[in-house]
Amino acid sequence: MHLAWGPDEEAFRAELLAFLDEHTPMEARTRRDFQGCEDGEVIPAWSRAWQATLFDHGWMIPGYPPELGGRDATPVQTLVYLEEMAARGIPRSMHFPGYAIVAPTLLEHGTDEQRALVPAAIRGDTVWCIGMSEPNAGSDLAGLTTRAELDGDDFVVNGQKVWTSYATVAEKCCCYVRTDPHVPKHKGISLLVVDMDTPGIEVRPLRHITGVADFAEVFFTDVRVPRTNLVGAPNDGWRLTQGSLAHERAGLWVEGVARLEQAITGLIDLAHRRGVAGDPVVRRKIAEASSRATSLRALGYKGITSFARQGASPEHSYMKLATSEAGKACFELGMEIQGAYGSVVDEERGEEAGRWALGFLISFANTIAGGTSEIQRNIIAQRVLGLPRS
Amino acid sequence: MDFTLTSEQELLRDSVRALLARECPTSLLRAHIDDLGAGEPLWAQLREFAALGTGATVDLCLVMEQLGYVAAPSPFFAITCLYAPVLAAIGESDLDAVLAGEATGTVALAGADGAWHANAESAKTFVPDAATVDLVAAIDANRAVTLLAAPPVRRIETLDTTRQLYDVETGVPGTAAGVISHDALSGVLERATVALAAEMVGTARRLFDMSLAYATKRVQFGVPIGSFQAIQHKLADMSLDVERAWSAVYYAAMTIDAVADDRHRATHAAKASAGEAATRAAKDGVQIHGGIGFTWEHDLQFFIRRAYGAEALLGPTGWHHDRLADLLM
Ligand SMILES: Cc1cc2nc3c(=O)[nH]c(=O)nc-3n(C[C@H](O)[C@H](O)[C@H](O)COP(=O)(O)OP(=O)(O)OC[C@H]3O[C@@H](n4cnc5c(N)ncnc54)[C@H](O)[C@@H]3O)c2cc1C
Repeated sequence: MHLAWGPDEEAFRAELLAFLDEHTPMEARTRRDFQGCEDGEVIPAWSRAWQATLFDHGWMIPGYPPELGGRDATPVQTLVYLEEMAARGIPRSMHFPGYAIVAPTLLEHGTDEQRALVPAAIRGDTVWCIGMSEPNAGSDLAGLTTRAELDGDDFVVNGQKVWTSYATVAEKCCCYVRTDPHVPKHKGISLLVVDMDTPGIEVRPLRHITGVADFAEVFFTDVRVPRTNLVGAPNDGWRLTQGSLAHERAGLWVEGVARLEQAITGLIDLAHRRGVAGDPVVRRKIAEASSRATSLRALGYKGITSFARQGASPEHSYMKLATSEAGKACFELGMEIQGAYGSVVDEERGEEAGRWALGFLISFANTIAGGTSEIQRNIIAQRVLGLPRS
Repeated sequence: MDFTLTSEQELLRDSVRALLARECPTSLLRAHIDDLGAGEPLWAQLREFAALGTGATVDLCLVMEQLGYVAAPSPFFAITCLYAPVLAAIGESDLDAVLAGEATGTVALAGADGAWHANAESAKTFVPDAATVDLVAAIDANRAVTLLAAPPVRRIETLDTTRQLYDVETGVPGTAAGVISHDALSGVLERATVALAAEMVGTARRLFDMSLAYATKRVQFGVPIGSFQAIQHKLADMSLDVERAWSAVYYAAMTIDAVADDRHRATHAAKASAGEAATRAAKDGVQIHGGIGFTWEHDLQFFIRRAYGAEALLGPTGWHHDRLADLLM
C-alpha cells in the first residue's frame, strides 16, 4: 500500500502533458461543466479534429495498440491518463458510443469486415448510435420488441427505438433486435449494424429536459439490413449488451469523481460570492460532499489497483451509483446556496448563467442513462453480494 | 499508487483475524458487561502487537479494523493509539516497555466538554481504560505530560458495553514526563482518529456481514427476505458505505505515513465516512433483523453499541465535517 506513483507512470504523465500542452484546442480547454444546454452542433468541428489528433498520436484509448489509437498502456497508466484529462476538463470526444461501446463489441464479436469499421469508430470519423431502449423496454431491456426477420440475404427490421443519443447525426447504429419471439426473452435477441441512411429509417429528434434536442426516436419500417451485418451468432445478442471497454471500465469513475470535485470547488466559490460561506449548514453540506468525493476517489483507486493485479474488481459497480447521486446533490446544493436566485438561468441575473440549476437538471442523465440508480442497486445486491433474485 | 495490501500486511491482518476469532467470541463481550476484567486474557494475546504503537498507521489500521469486527474489549486502542505515541513524542524512557507489551497506559486530555484539546481542567473525561492500565498520562493546558499511577477514576457508562471510558481526577501527585508540542499532539490525535475510524469500518463490516447472512437465511412469504428489493437496496447502500469508508480510512492512513499535505483533510473524511458507514449499518442492520435484532439475546446489539460509542469518541461525524469545512473554506 502506498500513494506515490511509479517512475513508469510519471514518465507517461510527462509525455501526456507535453502532448496536451502542444495540441489541445482552445475549445477543449474552456468547456463548461454543464455542456449540453445550448442548441448548436451536436458534434462541433473542433471536437472532430481533436479526436482524430488524439487517435493519430496514440492518446485516444491509451490501452489499445497504435493502430487503434493507443500505445499499449497499462491499466494504471490509463488511470493517469483519465485523471489528467478529467482534471483539465478536456473531453476526448463529444460522442462516446463509437469508441466506448461499439469498438470493443465489434473487436470481440465482429467478423473481419465488421472489425475493419473499428478504427474509424475510435477516431470519430464515423458517428455511431446505440439502439437499445424502446418505449416498452428500458430497464427491462430484454423485453425489446423491434423485429428482424430473415428474407433472403437480408433482415427486414420493423419497430421503434427511443432516447437514442446521436441518432440525428449518426451514420451507423448498433441496433438490438428480436430475431426469435418464440423463446424466453433473453434468448431471442440479436445485434445488427444498421446504416442510418437505409430507406425506411425515420429519425425524430426529442428535446431533453433542458429544452435542447439531444436524443431521438428512431422508427424502422421494412428496413432491409444485409445478413452479413449480424454481429456474433444469431439470437446471442443479450451477451453482447454488456460490451464496454473492459480495460477502461475500472477507470470509468474518474470523470464522475472529477465532475464532483469541480462542483465542490465551484460550490465553495459560490458560497463566498453569495456571502454564505460562514453559514454552518452550508459549510457542513459542502464538507459532506467533499468527504464523499475523497472517499469515492479512494474507492476508485482501490478498484483500479485490484483490477491491475487481479483483472477484476467489484468496486466499479459502486462507482456509477455513488458518483451520479453525489453529483446531483451538489448541483441541488448550488441552487440552495443562491436562495431566491436558485432557479434563475437568466445570464444577466443569476450566477454563472444557470450552471447550478441547469447542471441539476442534466445530472439526472447520470442517474438514469446506462442503468438507473435502482438498477445499479439491484446489480450490487444480486451480482456483488449474491442475494437471490426477486 | 497501490491500494492492495503487501503480503506482510495480509499476513498481519490474517493472523490478528485468526487470533480474534479464537480469543474474542461474543460470549466474551457478554461476560464483559458485568466483569470488566473479562478482557484481560485477550490483552495477554494482543500484547505481541503493542509495537504498532509507533508503527506504520496502515498496519495499525489493519489491526484496529479486526478489533472492531469483533468489538474487542481491549486497552489496545488506549495503549497503541494514544499512550505509546505520546510517550514517543516526549522521548519518555518507558516507551520500550510499552512497545514490548510489558507496560500499559492511557491518555487523559478532554475536559468537561469531551473535546480532545489541551485545557486547564484537572477533571478529565472519556479516558479509555483508565482503571485497568498501569499509568495515566495526563496532559494539561501547557501540554505538560504527567504520569499518574492509580489516580481516582469513575466509569462513565455509555451505550457501548464493550469499551471502558472513565472520568479521571488528574490533580494528584505524579511524575512530570515532559511537554508534548502542539504539532506532535495534533499528529497523535490524527493518527488515533484514523485508527478509530478503521475500527469503525470493522464494526460496520460485521454489522453488514451479519445482516447479509440473515437476509439470505430468513424466509418470509415463502422466500428469503434478501430477495425483497427493499432489503436488497438497503444492503447495497450499506456495502457501498462500508467500501467507501474502508478506502477513505486507508487513504488517510497512507497520507499520514507519507506526511502528505492532504493528511488533515483525509483524516476528517476518514472518520466522517466511517461514522456514516457504521451508523447506517447499525440502523439498517437492526431493521433487517426485525424483532430478533431488538433482543438482548442476539449478538447484533454489541456491534450497534460499539458503532455508536466509537461515533461519539474523538469527534462525531458532523464535527469532522465542520473541521473539514474549516480547512476547505
Ligand atoms: C440522457 C440519456 C441518454 C440516453 N441515451 C440512450 C441511447 O443512446 N441509447 C439507448 O438505447 N438508450 C438511451 N437512453 C435510455 C436509458 O438507457 C433508459 O432511459 C434507462 O435504461 C431507463 O429506462 P426507462 O427510461 O424506460 O425507465 P424505466 O425502466 O421505465 O424506469 C422507470 C423507473 O422505474 C425504476 N425501475 C425499473 N425497473 C426496476 C427494477 N427492476 N427495480 C427497481 N426499479 C426499477 C427505474 O429505476 C426508474 O426509476 C438514454 C437515456 C438518457 C436519460
